[in-house]
Amino acid sequence: MSASIEACGLWVERGGRAVLRGVDLALSPGEALALVGPNAAGKSTLVRALAGLLRPAQGTVRLEGQPLGAWSRAAIARRIALVAAEDEASERLAVADRVALGRYPHRGPLAPFTDEDRAAVVRALRQTEIEHLARRPLGTLSAGERQLALLARGLAQDPAVLLLDEPAAHLDVRHQLHLFRVLDEVRQRGVAVLAVIHDLPRAAAWAPRVALLDGGRIAAEGGPAEVLESEAAARAFGVAIRGVPVGNGAERLWRFEERT
Amino acid sequence: MSERGRRAVFAALALALPLALLAALSFGSVPLPPAGVVRSSLFHLGLAGGRPLAEMGEVILWSVRLPRVILAALVGGGLAVVGASLQSLFRNPLADAGLLGVGPGAALGAVLAVNLGWAQQRFFAMPLAACAGALLALLLIYALAHVGGRPSLQGLLLTGLAVSALAGAATSVLLVAVEEFRVRTVLFWLAGGLEGRGFEHVGLASTFVLGGSLALLLLARPLDVLSLGEEEAAALSLRVHPVRLLVFGLCALIAGPVTAVAGAVPFVGLIAPHALRTLVGPLNRHLLPASFLAGAALVVVADLAARSFGQYVELPLGSVTAFVGAPYFLLALRAQEGRG
Repeated sequence: MSASIEACGLWVERGGRAVLRGVDLALSPGEALALVGPNAAGKSTLVRALAGLLRPAQGTVRLEGQPLGAWSRAAIARRIALVAAEDEASERLAVADRVALGRYPHRGPLAPFTDEDRAAVVRALRQTEIEHLARRPLGTLSAGERQLALLARGLAQDPAVLLLDEPAAHLDVRHQLHLFRVLDEVRQRGVAVLAVIHDLPRAAAWAPRVALLDGGRIAAEGGPAEVLESEAAARAFGVAIRGVPVGNGAERLWRFEERT
Repeated sequence: MSERGRRAVFAALALALPLALLAALSFGSVPLPPAGVVRSSLFHLGLAGGRPLAEMGEVILWSVRLPRVILAALVGGGLAVVGASLQSLFRNPLADAGLLGVGPGAALGAVLAVNLGWAQQRFFAMPLAACAGALLALLLIYALAHVGGRPSLQGLLLTGLAVSALAGAATSVLLVAVEEFRVRTVLFWLAGGLEGRGFEHVGLASTFVLGGSLALLLLARPLDVLSLGEEEAAALSLRVHPVRLLVFGLCALIAGPVTAVAGAVPFVGLIAPHALRTLVGPLNRHLLPASFLAGAALVVVADLAARSFGQYVELPLGSVTAFVGAPYFLLALRAQEGRG
């Protein structure tokens, strides 16, 4: 199966400094990948470069086999949705209106919204289970509910690829579980989902595949246990990481210790 | 905001503006009966039940008061639409053309046109110079405020303050050079006012204000997307910088001629959209038309107050709006800072 999205030798510079140094990464339809790495490893930069927001100095991003440059901006935004950690929307904006702005790539500045758009908004609200909040202004929501509204905006884009930068950063454990369950459901419908996740046990619990970014390069890639217990991960984070099998051995309890 | 609540607000605004217009047409140094004004209007529109006023009243109503009142409505509507657009653009509900130095920039352009003698030769020279001044001020603030990333509220206001001071200083320098007999005229104009404005000013203002406001209304959805933040807007395929420049250009096209005909009328662009954001919600397809109606009614009433203050003297319109607007701004600023 051809990749939904693929980075080939991606080299990105920001402010004259190389942040990504030749990243190769591919996601197939319906695949979930957790991107982990220490601070300043280039995770956010990679996500933005994949979304076409940063122009690579070298290498390419391919969307459904075609370089991003061959797609129009609107066509990219109809296929790739980016959900950031921070929500800068107006406090007074109603949830449903915020989600509806996800239809902008489909309709552009002037065309009125169609039944298709309204259906997409309703579907996104239902998938994230925030239909009951539809008319509420964003300012009245909890951090978790706001993050779900942001995710719903991404889902309203009807994307083939969903990129999330620290989607669970401000969420309590209940909202985290909810969010990752929604992401699983999205993935099962064939969307390729890549999420930057800071919390390593959470990344290991959610994603069947983990990529470790360190110093702008993919230092390890594979199953969660394989990546987190690798020497590369220990070096990247500067800690000793050990997975203790629990239950039937399929799950692991992760232990972190400072290296002396 | 419920659909029904929004409709009620629009109905109230659609009622308030004609009432304000009627009041402004009726009251003045020579009071005209409101019923007579309505009948005279019907008469001139060729509708049933119309009857002209006495000759004197007709002249006052149609040649003196009407252009002034229409101009007040256009000035208020235009400034409110500019304010609402800039608030979305800067993602700050307290942005305003006046605070952002657009008014002072436009004033500088206009005074420059007077100084160079253009304004005396060509009717359009002063408004166009004001447009250029407004645009220049906006671009300067945009560039300065974005040095070092996203502009904070403080950064934005302080940059606007600096640019305003700069434009004001340059205007003062130019005033020194203006021939003495024009200084009073220019000073009075800078304070803002609509005294003695005629239909040629209405023609000028209506072209720019209505054209510019309509164009901004067409940009309502891009403005909504832009208000989500630069990155999210770009990820939704919006061309952030071209849209921003287009909005700046349209704001200058409105603010320039408005300043040229009415002088500085501060705070209208802040109060109207800021108050309405709570009532109709932040979506620009609702906020822009509502702001236009509210701003128009506000300035019509403010101008009425300005000329009703004394029998022989008129207050500057800009002072009236500032007396109301400055306390409102301070309260709103407190509320926003309080929320962090």
